[in-house]
Order: sequence, then structure tokens, then C-alpha cells
Amino acid sequence: MKILAIDTSCDETSVAITDGRRVLSNIIYSQVLLHKKWGGVVPSIAKRAHEERIDFVVNEAFRKVGNKNFCSLQNIDAIAVTQGPGLAVALEVGIKKAKELAKKYQKKLISVNHLEGHIYSAFVQNSQGNPKRNFKFPYLALIISGGHTEFIIFKGHLEYQVIGETLDDAAGEALDKAAKLLGLGYPGGPVLERLAKEVGNEDFHHFPRPMLKSNNLNFSFSGLKTSFYYFLKKNPNQTSEVRLLASSFQEAVFDTLIKKTEKAIKQTGINNLIISGGVVANMRLKKLMRDLVKKYQGEILFPSYKYLTGDNAAMIGVAANFKAEKDLFVKNIDELDRIPRWSL
Amino acid sequence: MKTIKLKFNNINQVINNTITILKSNGLIVFPSDTVYGLLCDAESGKAVQKLISFKNRPPGKAISVFCNFELINKLVKINKQQQKIIKEILPGPFTVILPSKHRVSQLLESEKGTLGIRIPMYRYIEILVNRFKKPVTATSANIAGRPAHYSINTLLKELSDKQKALIDLIVDAGTLARNKPSTVIDLTQFDVKVLRQGDVDFSRSKIFLSKSTEETKDIAKKILKEVRQPAEKKPLIFIIEGEMGVGKTVFVKGLGESLGINNIISPTFVIYYEYENFYHFDLYRIEEKEELKHLGIEKLLKMGNILCFEWGEKTGEIGDLLKSRGKIIYIKMKYINEKEREIIVNE
Repeated sequence: MKILAIDTSCDETSVAITDGRRVLSNIIYSQVLLHKKWGGVVPSIAKRAHEERIDFVVNEAFRKVGNKNFCSLQNIDAIAVTQGPGLAVALEVGIKKAKELAKKYQKKLISVNHLEGHIYSAFVQNSQGNPKRNFKFPYLALIISGGHTEFIIFKGHLEYQVIGETLDDAAGEALDKAAKLLGLGYPGGPVLERLAKEVGNEDFHHFPRPMLKSNNLNFSFSGLKTSFYYFLKKNPNQTSEVRLLASSFQEAVFDTLIKKTEKAIKQTGINNLIISGGVVANMRLKKLMRDLVKKYQGEILFPSYKYLTGDNAAMIGVAANFKAEKDLFVKNIDELDRIPRWSL
Repeated sequence: MKTIKLKFNNINQVINNTITILKSNGLIVFPSDTVYGLLCDAESGKAVQKLISFKNRPPGKAISVFCNFELINKLVKINKQQQKIIKEILPGPFTVILPSKHRVSQLLESEKGTLGIRIPMYRYIEILVNRFKKPVTATSANIAGRPAHYSINTLLKELSDKQKALIDLIVDAGTLARNKPSTVIDLTQFDVKVLRQGDVDFSRSKIFLSKSTEETKDIAKKILKEVRQPAEKKPLIFIIEGEMGVGKTVFVKGLGESLGINNIISPTFVIYYEYENFYHFDLYRIEEKEELKHLGIEKLLKMGNILCFEWGEKTGEIGDLLKSRGKIIYIKMKYINEKEREIIVNE
């Protein structure tokens, strides 16, 4: 089933064309710009002005597929769109465009939760149908990004149960803000990773691990951020050792994620994991997660390609494919509205 | 005279000890939402007599009691209109005066037969009263006519040996937040009469001290209660400033919780989240003023809406718009130390 998928949940204007689990094209506006006009710098204003970009990105998505597959709005089978969670005004743009195209070309509409997109990102294939991963339910999924940190039991297609989430800041946000406090700019998660690596990921300062003593699977990172701030304030001279600070903070966040994941494995008895979201781009975290799963003799899946860690429409198209198989189309297109704090 | 230091892990022990002493007609110095209070079993004549000799208090001057919503109807007569006001302001830093049902010692009542009731927003008192299942006295632990105390040290310095001998237990919670004594509201009068102006002053800027995230939330709830008026035609706009990690999101969580919204998380990544008519913005990632235009804030400036802006200093460009179309409450949060925060409110 050929699907045109749109995701405008936050910063990125992204459109993809998928066929089953295969991605025929996936366009992310800021990346297009990166390569073309702006020579590396994307003005932040551009990121959030979805309305002015959406048509261009839809056209790009079709152009990228190329003529040989004869893919156009007329002969796709359905349109998928992210309904939430995300920034209300951004979601609106994608939903409006999806509705407009669905009506104009008389296509069925599929609404997708951004988080289920992240879960399915581990099963997205390239246009050749690789990698060929089979579903081995149930999975314990952990989404770790700038906006989310949550545990979900992925029981079967489209069957989710949230068993833990952040009560304040997301893990990616905590990393970004720590980088900012160290004067490394925002977002600075990737810089943190590099500096930490230079000192062998040493946990020199041993910052507090939030919520580890609690029995549930929820996270809280704002306290860690505060104690980091206070540490910097009390020890102004220590900032010279930025690498050790970066490394220690990153370890505090990752150690929390690992220990909570271990708790989740024990509590659920599920040792097959899906770890997705932007923070998974971090190699250190990937290694720690792999080691953990090895201990429990399970299998671990990450987003199948790097571009799938961040926000993208390809994963939305693939998730939509499974919704279409179950005939879960939007019944009344006019009534579809964004749900900014939609949980799974 | 025994002293126990109140820590986060010995609440049960402290409460149990306190109750044992209350049951044997003892006197206890105990922390409260305002100042250190002097607690005794309000239904025991013997205990109250002991309290009055400690306070050197002229007879006929009433002493209020801590209770909870279960006990209040047993202690005082309440009509429908009074019930409504009580629900509105309690729990909170108020003493409410109502006709007594004479269940407590008469020495606590006024000459007119009224009784002062306190249901504070303070966890330890709440737990204590819930477990003791009886009212306890809520007078401040000072001698009549002398200033109230926020720490045990200053209190002890002022007491004579004879007075010290009357105290059976001191529960030391360190230096308390410098909240003013409660505001007394006499509900037996036709028009509500304010006898003593405490912390709740609607006209000037206020400073609160928070010692924990829970206290920050409570302060937020209190502020919302004060500024929210049913007839208000403009949307309420909270502009919240303060450094990273100072607790801005915690403050907004408190505002949300008092409206029944319990799933507020940081909106830094998405810029804002909406919860029905409650909008939680975080302008941290806004870099250019142009970006604000894409957020469609103007459409949200409607009656009944509540908008909160973290990193409110960045509203600059749209500041005039917000001011002209909404009722603005400025909140400034400052670090005092790792745990404590100063919260300054300006309307």
C-alpha cells in the first residue's frame, strides 16, 4: 500500500512516501535546506514555519521517488498524518494539508500517533526492503528524545501500554540543557557525547541519579539539571574541566536510563527491546543498552537507519500501513483535529 | 522538655510521639505553615489550662484550633453561604471565625461563643490532625503580645525556666518560611470582616519562600486562587522568569494541579502544550522574535484561558499585546540555595 505521510509535530516539516514497510522517499525540510540554500546553517525561524514549506516538501517527496515508479498523488492509496503529540500550531499545518489532499484526490486518511511512529521506526525498510526484521512480540519499547522519555509495552501491532514516562524534562532535553549550562550551545547533546568520549565516558563527579529508588518506571530529570546547575555555581573553577563535567552528566542520565530499563525488563519479563528517538543517535547509549540486553539474553532493535532516530515522516507512513491493514481510517475527515498531548 | 528534629524520614515517629503527648494533656511546640505553634488537645480542659498559663494570655481572648474538613462540622455551625466561602479559601493561611458547638474547651472560645478554625496547607499538621482525629490548638508559640517565632532558637531564648518546664516536646523543623500569621476572617458577621491582615495582601508584590518542589506547587496554587476571579473577562497570563533549574515548570505544575491537570511535563522541546483552556509555553528555544508570530498566541487571548510563559522575559515583542488583552501576573523565581527558592509575585 502506497502512503503519503506527513509529520509536522514540532520543528521538522517532513513528508514521506512509503509502500508497506519500504520507504520510497523521505524529505525533511531542514535537511534539504542544509544541502542547498543555507550552506549548513538553518535559521530557526525556518524550522517552525511549516505553512510556507509544506507544499514544497510534498513535491520534493514525489520528485525523489522518480518517474520510473510512476508515483503521484493520483495513484497513492492513502494519506497519513501525525495527529499528536506535539506543538499544536505545527500539527495543525500537517493535518490541514492532509485533509485538503485527501479530499481533493479522494484518498483515505490515517491518523498516527507520533510515538507509535517512533516505535515502528525499528521496522522501517529502505526502498529495497532491507533490513528484513521480523516482529517478535512482545517488545519493551523505550522512546528517548528531546520531547519524550517513555516505556511502552508493544504487545502486538498497534497494541501499546505505557508503563512509565518522564514527569518533567525529557532525557534529550536534560542533555541539551546541560550542554547549554556548560556554554556549549543549544541543543548540545551531540557535543556532550563527543567531549565525554574524549575522557573515556568517565563518571568523575557522580551526580545524583533521579528516581532510581522509586519503584515505578517513571523518570524525572529536572532535579538532576538543578543539581548540575548548583554544582557549576559552587565550583566556578571546575568549568575548566568541561569534558569531565560533560561525561559525568551524560553518565548520570544514561545510568538512570539503563537502570530503569533493567527494572522494566525485570518487571515485565520482556527481554526484546526497541530503543528509539533522537538520543539513540548517541553511540555510548547504544553500547550500554546492548550490554544490558546481552545480560538478559534478549534482542535489541534501534531505528533501522540513522535518519529515523529524529522526527521523520517515514516512520509515520510505516505505522500507518499497519493501521490501514486493520482498516483504521479516519471516519470523518472534517472532524480530525490535533491532539497536542496525545498519549499512546 | 524533649526536642526531636523533623527530617524527611522520621515523620511517622514524630507524629506518633506528638499524639502520645497530646493524649496525656501535654504541650508541644510544632511547626506550621506560618510560625511555630503551641499544640495541645483542644477538647481537654486540663491541657488548655496549661496552654493558657504558658501564654500568659488574658482570659476571654480566643485561641483558634487546627482541624480538618471532617472535624469542622462537629466543631462549629456553618450555613450554606459560609460553607461556600470556606471551600473557596481553605486549606490556606486563614483563620475562620464561626459559632462554636462547644465541643472544644470553652477557654478557647471568644466571649461571644465563637471559635477560630484553621485548616492550613501544611502536610505535618494535616497528617497529625487526621491521625489524632481531634482538634488541636493553633496558637503561636510566643507569649501574648510578643512577636511570633520562625525558629526554635529564638523561641527558647525568650522563655523563662518555668515556661520551658511546661513544654513536653519540641518538634524542630529548622527555620520556617517567613510567612506572616494567618489572616483572620470573621464569618459570623454579615459582611466578611478581616480582623488581622496576614500574608494575603492583594495589592502589593509578595515574596514567598519555598523549601521544596511541593511548597513551590502550593505557592502556585495559592497565587492562582488569589488572582482568579469568576467575573474576570480577560485571560490570565503568568509570565515566569528565572534561571534554568529554578523550578519554573514545577510552578506551572502547581497551577495546573489546582485545575485538575496532572500530566504537565516540560514543553521545552515543542514550545508549548495545551491542556483544554490551559496553555503552557516555554520560550527557551525561541531565538528570533519572528518566531513568536508563528505560534498564534493572539488567538489564545480569550476569556477563561490561562497562559503560562516560562522564560517570560522573551515575550518582549508581544508584551504589549499580552498586557492589553490579558491580566498579567509576573512571577520571578530566584535560587536561595540548592533547596530553597524565592518566589516574587507582582500583579
